[in-house]
Amino acid sequence: MDRRTFIKAGAGLGLAGHLGLSAPAHAQGANARTLKFVPQADLANFDPIWGTQYVVRNAAALVWDTLYGFDEHLVPKPQMAEGASVSADGLTWTIKLRAGLKFHDGSTVHAKDVVASLTRWSARDSMGQMLKAIQQELVAVDEVTVRWVLKKPYPKMLMALGKNSTPMAFIMPERIANTDPFKQIEEYIGSGPMRFVRNEWVPGSKAVFAKFEGYKPREEANSWLSGGKHMMVDRIEWIVMPDPGTASAALQNGEIDWWENPITDLVPQLKRNRNVRVDIADPLGNIGTFRMNHLTTPFNSLKARQAVLAALSQEDYMRALVGDDTNLWKALPGFFTPGTPLYTEEGGDLLKGPRNLDLAKRLLAESGYAGTPVTCIVAQDQPITKAQGDVTADLLKRIGFNVDYVATDWGTTGQRRAMKNPVGQGGWSMFHSWHAGADCINPAVYIACRANGDRAWFGWPSIPAVETAVDEWFEAPDLDAEKAAIRRLNRAGMENVTFAPTGFFLQYQAWRANVSGVVKGPLPFFWGVSKT
Amino acid sequence: MFAYIIRRVLATIPVMAVVALFVFSLLYIAPGDPAAVIAGDQATPADVERIRQSLGLDRPFLVRFGEWVWNILNGDMGVSIFTNLPVTTMIKQRIEPTLSLMVLTLILAVSIAVPMGVVAAWKHGTWIDRCVMGFAVLGFSVPVFVVGYVLAYVFALELDWLPVQGYTAFKEGLFPWLENLILPSIALGGVYIALIARITRATMLEVLQQDYVRTARAKGVGQRSILFLHALKNAAVPIVTVIGIGMALLIGGAVVTESVFAIPGLGRLTVDAILRRDYPVIQGVVLLFSFVYVLVNLLIDLLYTLFDPRIRY
Amino acid sequence: MDAPAIAAPLPDVLPPMKPRRGFIGYLRKNPTIAVGGALLLVMLGIVVFAPYLWTVDPTALAPAKRTREPSALYWFGTDMLGRDVYSRVLFGARVSMLVGFSVALLSSIVGLTIGLCSGFVRWADALVMRIMDGMMSIPPILLAIALMALTRGSVQNVIIAITIAEIPRVSRLVRGVVLSLREQPYVDAAVACGTRTPTIIWRHILPNTLAPITVQATYICASAMITEAILSFIGAGTPPIIPSWGNIMAEGRALWQVKPYIVFFPAVFLSITVLAVNLLGDGLRDALDPRMAKRL
Repeated sequence: MDRRTFIKAGAGLGLAGHLGLSAPAHAQGANARTLKFVPQADLANFDPIWGTQYVVRNAAALVWDTLYGFDEHLVPKPQMAEGASVSADGLTWTIKLRAGLKFHDGSTVHAKDVVASLTRWSARDSMGQMLKAIQQELVAVDEVTVRWVLKKPYPKMLMALGKNSTPMAFIMPERIANTDPFKQIEEYIGSGPMRFVRNEWVPGSKAVFAKFEGYKPREEANSWLSGGKHMMVDRIEWIVMPDPGTASAALQNGEIDWWENPITDLVPQLKRNRNVRVDIADPLGNIGTFRMNHLTTPFNSLKARQAVLAALSQEDYMRALVGDDTNLWKALPGFFTPGTPLYTEEGGDLLKGPRNLDLAKRLLAESGYAGTPVTCIVAQDQPITKAQGDVTADLLKRIGFNVDYVATDWGTTGQRRAMKNPVGQGGWSMFHSWHAGADCINPAVYIACRANGDRAWFGWPSIPAVETAVDEWFEAPDLDAEKAAIRRLNRAGMENVTFAPTGFFLQYQAWRANVSGVVKGPLPFFWGVSKT
Repeated sequence: MFAYIIRRVLATIPVMAVVALFVFSLLYIAPGDPAAVIAGDQATPADVERIRQSLGLDRPFLVRFGEWVWNILNGDMGVSIFTNLPVTTMIKQRIEPTLSLMVLTLILAVSIAVPMGVVAAWKHGTWIDRCVMGFAVLGFSVPVFVVGYVLAYVFALELDWLPVQGYTAFKEGLFPWLENLILPSIALGGVYIALIARITRATMLEVLQQDYVRTARAKGVGQRSILFLHALKNAAVPIVTVIGIGMALLIGGAVVTESVFAIPGLGRLTVDAILRRDYPVIQGVVLLFSFVYVLVNLLIDLLYTLFDPRIRY
Repeated sequence: MDAPAIAAPLPDVLPPMKPRRGFIGYLRKNPTIAVGGALLLVMLGIVVFAPYLWTVDPTALAPAKRTREPSALYWFGTDMLGRDVYSRVLFGARVSMLVGFSVALLSSIVGLTIGLCSGFVRWADALVMRIMDGMMSIPPILLAIALMALTRGSVQNVIIAITIAEIPRVSRLVRGVVLSLREQPYVDAAVACGTRTPTIIWRHILPNTLAPITVQATYICASAMITEAILSFIGAGTPPIIPSWGNIMAEGRALWQVKPYIVFFPAVFLSITVLAVNLLGDGLRDALDPRMAKRL
């Protein structure tokens, strides 16, 4: 008996029937226009350039638009741009905005907004930083045309503008984009298909997006971040549920429409429910990471990092994370996404074969480790980080590290991992994260595999051999040359332990049967999703 | 009586002052630099310095305390470290669900527990009495979140009678509001029902042994009338006192219940704030809850003077 | 606020005094003590002999054997990291009992001291009692949460935080007893004879406070165990790597629909233990402290 029949039959039970415990009739129509979505994490801050957490990016993709956008084949397609042209010498890029672009405050999107936005973005993004380093000038030629002049050709320009890895090159109004890139913006005005309803934003609980009537979708069919972003609902409510059990029950009960990341253990139960659809969220999957801080003890020592690699059992991590279904995960003795052209296991031998705790202990002793605390930042509200963290605490203890397990939440992890202080003064030794497989297909979008010291991702590895290989890849004329460069990158990264991959895994997403248009991809795409 | 009211109201001022002082000094009890504590683990040295200046740590403790109190009286509880929103705003966003949950639980608990206690006292020594007492001890022994999960499993998931989670604002309608709150209030009410039922039973037993009850019984007054008109009226004061004091249990339980049922109230705000060490938020919530608690108990004390003519101070 | 001690001095009507005939007879006359005591003894046995009772190291991970249903091999099943729930629950008994008993003992000692001082030292009384009133106005769990937020999670800090939250109630109780005893003729007589205050406290006051304090301590022990579980459950208590009952339940909560046993076993153990202590408290109160039972 479902709730509605119960309420109809409620008279039999007295209480509920008596009180008429059902939603008012008028709410039913409105209901179909509102999509209730449970995101992977709380939207605690909302600056997609300042913050690189996926949850921020996913929300931002609704509110802000990009010049280009990846389609499902990871090819950048024009989005806000009408098109772009590059001079024969590859140095001058001219990008023209398409007509009818408006910000949510009603103003038209101008080229100066694009210039300011790209300037702020290029201060934080790794591809952006490369562009900035070779930039001659970035100017608005007229109201709708931007010119980017470089000192060196940069063939991956459109990839940079359209990639979905964080931070994405979102276009904001000039006054907002003028914010210091290392400070958070305070106004959330974009030109995307949905407006951010700020007064309904309750960090820790919900975020609300309303359809932007002034949005003009492109003509093309939508595909990931490209094509027409047609919104089929008027309102999207993000409801934060730190407890997966509650989210699962809410989905089965029809209280929510779409759950971004059901944990694998709950999937069999969801599959049994005929009102719920479950599918792999993204065939490109995810890569779990054990991120070490190369600046502080003990992982500033290569031997200590290698010790971890020698004893780390990816199978343990993957089973803890996704469970017994071996179709959902595999060991990953490399950095890049399995099944994509650049995947290689070159140099990953230390991660293969039986785990060697004795070798790990020996390496640790050789590193001169003196028992200083290893500060592990473990977000408890993310099943992915929580499970990895518990495996790690056990692993590090067995190797002989003095584990200082800091239990915190994902939002705080995002802030704390940015600290370069020594351990004991707010600094950290390691944290866990994960990367969407789509973000790990090549070094351009895969910021976490870079090792350019201060400018590298959290942990700040500095490994010249990795960076040399990255440069070689950027300049590679063909796929074979790219592959060769990536093999060198993988080997250098593994030998010097840029970070430790904990495995490759697939995740599910689940939605109500009355919701249609949910696609597989590295982030939830709300356009084209409708509800009856 | 009027003088008593004045005195009683005035007496809450030192209590609140102590609460405020305690909440304020929490930061200074903590080992280490209060600016570093308030800035949190993730702050940069510049942040810490900025906070140290805004805290005015160079000035005397009492001056800072005075300022802090003054700000609070003016509705300024500081700014959340994590979200950068004013604490007052965050509390305002979340006060309605918590208040709803507590009021509903209160009503539910009193209307279940008092009759339970009365019947147990009336049927003193029988199996009914033992059941009630058994339930009462059990109510104290099972943690609220366990009750919550069991209720959610049975009534929401298996039977699908009620929603599992969430909160619907009161302005959306009485029934949607009620629907979301029934399970949480039953879960939260457990301990409270146990407490009130026990007190009711004990007081009623005492009252039922009084002479006037015997007289009434001898006169042939009906049992129901004896129980509810004579005895319960006279047992009211201790029962109401416990209802007031038990609010502390309710407040503590709300923190947990809200996270079990994903209710976006002050309890979840507190839980989030702890993981983030968001000190201004924790201070604000503790202060607010304590204030409500003191206020409720003040009101109850004052109500006595109206209800019970025997109480003269 | 002149409120009676809240914790749980749940008054009840006193059974008529009956003649005692030996230990067994005593227990038969006080079934709550018998039942509570027996359950508690079992739990204490578990605590003491835990290392011999558990089947594997309670913190040992075995991801290959995760979320196994309870069976002959895994009596209470395994959790999502393959840790043995049975062994963890036994370990959790140690944490819970440690917290419960430490808090009861510490808050009794500190509360007794404060209560005695306050009852005897007139000038301190007003000040101390105002402070206690203020602290009592902060709901205890909230107070413990606030204190925990200040420090790193550890068992020791959990004990301190809950103790601080419980002290005001004990102090009030002791002070009340002291004040009423001071009016007693024999205390007057002792004062008249020129007995020194410490001697009066030692001879006349302390013995009389022991009974109500023991009863109160029992209730505090029970509520401290619940509070510890709640603190751990919301992530503000014992660090997650220590298997306390609250932590085991917190970890199992995500799977409560599909693997309910992870939450079920620690919940049952916690409830039984707290029930045992509460029953013991009820029994002790009826047996030891007729005055407290009558006073509301």
